Amino acid sequence: MEIIVFYLFAAIAVIAALGVVGLRNPVYAALCLAVVFVSFAGLYVLLSAPFIAVAQVMIYAGAILILFVFVIMLLSPPVDQGEGALKWQKPLALGFVGALAVQLVLVLALAVLPSARGSLTPEVIAQRGDVQVVGAALFSDYLLPFEMTSLLLLVAIVGVIVLAKKR
Amino acid sequence: MLDRYGVVALFAFMAVLFPAIPLVFSWIIRPKKPNKSKTTTYECGLEFEDFPEEAQQVWVQFRVQYFLYAIIFVVFDIEAVFLYPWAVAYNALGLYALVEMVLFLGILILALAYAWRKGLLEWA
Amino acid sequence: MPDATTLYLILPEITLAVFGMVILAVDLIWRERSRAALAWLTVLGFVIALATALLGWGWNMALFAQMYVVDTFAIFFKLLAAIAGILVTLVSLDYLRDRTPYRGEFLALFTFAVLAMMMMASSASLLMIYLSIEFLSYMSYLLTGFLREDKKSNEAAIKYFLYGAITSALMLYGLSLLYGISGSLNFADITATFAARNDVPTRIVALVSTALVIAGLGFKISLVPFHQWAPDTYEGAPTPVTAFLSVGPKAVGFAVLLRVLLTALPAFKNEWIALLTVISVLTMTLGNLVALRQKNVKRLLAYSSIAQAGYILIGLVSVNLNGASPFSGLNGVLIYLFAYLFTNLGAFTCVIAIENATGAVEIDDYKGLVKRAPFIAALFVIFFLSLAGIPPTAGFIGKFFVFGAALREGFLVLAAIGVINSVISVFYYFSVVRAAFFEAGKDTAPIRLAPPITFSLVVSAALVLVMAVYPEPFFNLAAWSMGMFGVAK
Repeated sequence: MEIIVFYLFAAIAVIAALGVVGLRNPVYAALCLAVVFVSFAGLYVLLSAPFIAVAQVMIYAGAILILFVFVIMLLSPPVDQGEGALKWQKPLALGFVGALAVQLVLVLALAVLPSARGSLTPEVIAQRGDVQVVGAALFSDYLLPFEMTSLLLLVAIVGVIVLAKKR
Repeated sequence: MLDRYGVVALFAFMAVLFPAIPLVFSWIIRPKKPNKSKTTTYECGLEFEDFPEEAQQVWVQFRVQYFLYAIIFVVFDIEAVFLYPWAVAYNALGLYALVEMVLFLGILILALAYAWRKGLLEWA
Repeated sequence: MPDATTLYLILPEITLAVFGMVILAVDLIWRERSRAALAWLTVLGFVIALATALLGWGWNMALFAQMYVVDTFAIFFKLLAAIAGILVTLVSLDYLRDRTPYRGEFLALFTFAVLAMMMMASSASLLMIYLSIEFLSYMSYLLTGFLREDKKSNEAAIKYFLYGAITSALMLYGLSLLYGISGSLNFADITATFAARNDVPTRIVALVSTALVIAGLGFKISLVPFHQWAPDTYEGAPTPVTAFLSVGPKAVGFAVLLRVLLTALPAFKNEWIALLTVISVLTMTLGNLVALRQKNVKRLLAYSSIAQAGYILIGLVSVNLNGASPFSGLNGVLIYLFAYLFTNLGAFTCVIAIENATGAVEIDDYKGLVKRAPFIAALFVIFFLSLAGIPPTAGFIGKFFVFGAALREGFLVLAAIGVINSVISVFYYFSVVRAAFFEAGKDTAPIRLAPPITFSLVVSAALVLVMAVYPEPFFNLAAWSMGMFGVAK
């Protein structure tokens, strides 16, 4: 059952991602991106990380995407007509994509990527509760990065006002 | 573990179904007599083609203010997400967690005060 | 929960965070009336941070669940960061006055940039490294594009941002591979993982991630082939910011590179040495050859600073911490960075002084400089001697230890390429000096210096000379700074 749900979300994510790259109208591309974000949230749930899934929907599908759409509307770009500035980049991009595809196939074929498990396994999370685990870690061990985040958000606001606000 | 999310899936399914049904239903029973004026983006009784060139342009440029609001929205959205685990873990951590969150919110309130003082919250 | 010791050891970071916010708040409340006071408040913040950083000297503690290390190595770079902060603040006063109304924000953001540098120096976990590098990068993009009416400043910021976003994505991918393979964010655990497992797949993944991390940090340090942003960004950014970018992010970039390679990835030393050797040769050679053709002083110094990164990399390539030789490579890197900080800041301060008075940044505009500003012209000679590595200057001491380490480790060809490059660099440094001393200029009005700029020029020049004449304290500082290195586990 889980594997079916995984393939469902994965397929939606891949198709929507193709839409992000392929659609000529930037607004449609942004909406496809929303679908990608939401299906990622589904994958996070499957990985026993429901808090990350909720954050993904709230922050990425909710806030960041609105930012993207506003930027698109702000710039009001012409719909991409295809042939144009990016002529010689196309074969180059195809080359890179090809190399990545070969790498992916090799990894999947060999299936030898070594990995290690951290201390928070799905069993631990199921026992203690996901949000509880995140909260306990965030406000004890990860205190410093947490407070640093608030400084980052502060300078983000200051920076955007300095750079973008009309006088 | 999936059974816990079955109800979420059901909600999502219903949420998609709910707007879809009336749309499909009205598409089936509506009369189909389109003309040029009806298929324009905004149909208001006037002939769209009579408008000057620039008024026919539906791609309008947004004011930069929207972008600034969006940024502020992102910032405080992130803050809200951090509040959930804080509330859940609060019993285990106690006063110490309160100090941390006050510090965190204090810094963000400075950000809000900055935006306010710079006149970002005024429209004109 | 952080105890009193923890708070004591991160006092410099706390100081800068508080000062940054206070500057912002004071600027909000009093606006115009507080402008002059704000600059001195910023300097005061850096001085307190400098003093509190020294309080941690001799400690070797891993804080915050082993994520954040306060050791002498970190403190060395915190001192560098605070000193760079003080000097750049002093030289930016006059420059900003006519160019932007957001001077309070500039000072606050600059304080946060120095804070990010300090955090980079202490980071000992993949998470902290990524966060602090991004923090510093955002500050750098903002400060680069600070002159929003100036098209070149905008262009510089956009190029810097796009390049930085791509390389930081590369680095993040590398860091995620390291995490996936070891299941931990901390360097000590990563080292333990690689000590325990040495099969071929592990090695392949580790090498890929090492290369990706070097790409991300190579961007901060402006190593070839991640240097393309540097000339345009250096040319377009406000010149005090250029001065900062050429020393600050570069120095802490080296700090992080050293810490990652030596404490997290020592198992792959042979591989990263091979990679960095090639990068070092490319960086030195390309930087110097392109610098020969430059007409704009800021671009010339940009290519010069790319080449300098190549020399410093020689010290990292020939690092050898066994034995008590004075040429450990690591101390060469530290001494070189210390010398480079004052030299390059000094050279840029001269450029700023001239730009403040005349608005000119082309080499041709420097003709007849010796008549207009004999003091600046003379200091230019000192700083350029030091950049070229000619005694009696600090740059010579730096090159001596870096090349010496290369000879000790048997990298004869690398050392030879370094020396040849130093000779090439003399040509373009002295094209500026020749214009200043031996060619007649049109304009002959004398150039006046503001007191803060004079002060930082004198400090820089004095340290460049003192370091060459009486270098023992600086050797000791470097030796102490690396003495504790890698012990934190």
